Amino acid sequence: MWKYEKKLEYPINITKKDLKMAKSMLAQYGGPDSELSAALRYLNQRYTMPDERGFALLTDIGTEELAHWEMISTIIQQLMKGATIEEIKANGLEGYYSEHNKASFPVDANGVPFTTSYIEATANYRADLESDMAAEQRAKVTYENLMKQTNDPEVLAPLSFLRQREIVHYNRFRELRDYYLNKFKD
Amino acid sequence: MYNYYNNHQNINYDGNDLRNINYQNDNLFNPYQGLIRGNLFKNIYKPYKNEKPYEIKPMNEQAKMLTDLDALEFAIIDLNLYLDVNPDDRKAIELFNQYRVENEELLKIYQNKFGPIFLNSDSLTNMPWMWDNRPWPWEN
Repeated sequence: MWKYEKKLEYPINITKKDLKMAKSMLAQYGGPDSELSAALRYLNQRYTMPDERGFALLTDIGTEELAHWEMISTIIQQLMKGATIEEIKANGLEGYYSEHNKASFPVDANGVPFTTSYIEATANYRADLESDMAAEQRAKVTYENLMKQTNDPEVLAPLSFLRQREIVHYNRFRELRDYYLNKFKD
Repeated sequence: MYNYYNNHQNINYDGNDLRNINYQNDNLFNPYQGLIRGNLFKNIYKPYKNEKPYEIKPMNEQAKMLTDLDALEFAIIDLNLYLDVNPDDRKAIELFNQYRVENEELLKIYQNKFGPIFLNSDSLTNMPWMWDNRPWPWEN
């Protein structure tokens, strides 16, 4: 089961409106390598890991990804706070606004809806973990692309935190993959 | 009856402690330094280009205490992931336990003052019900 902690994993306090950045941030809310993809990917794969190390790591990283997904929606909500209709139209968010107003909704930066074709689960530890390692690398690159689009330290700080978490997760998946390769003489 | 008002008032809390404490582990950042980097482990820390860590500047006493809770909980999360794949590291387990105890103590102080963060933690709730109090995490 899961229980809610009424706090973010890392503090976010964005005081400057930036609708272009809000639109770009949707990449990590509902895009192919979004935090939502990551959470669903690991939480589905955990059942067919070979042993308890895999059960634990995929459960724990999958859980952390849900906390990151919450951070992304927080960033988007704060970047959009107080936006007028004119500002929404001027920054290419009128399509999003027509369907969702200012609600959080998992589409990517181009408005493409989230789909489970972004994730994989094969019941093969090597296929899954190597795909997970690649997913962490792609998410890291996405954060770097996002960081190039803003100079606001209030946005850069949480993006920098999230980018670094991809590096940590990549390393833990790699350690687990290597442990299994050795254990099963693959 | 359990005295949930005053039971934790005698714990000394000094927010500066966490930033200065030396955990005597050369391979790890301390919890606050780990939090602002997103990584507790020096050997795998890779900043973006020449980027320096962003210091967290809390606006008030509540935010300051919350930052210290964030730091301790971050250290617990990152040690947790490490221990999942390195379950025989005794030093890491001892450090995990130490941070867990510190986190629990600080959480009690925080929740008695500002209301609950985690309803299942070891703090009893006051009248009136405060779980719904603002701010919620996404509010700035």
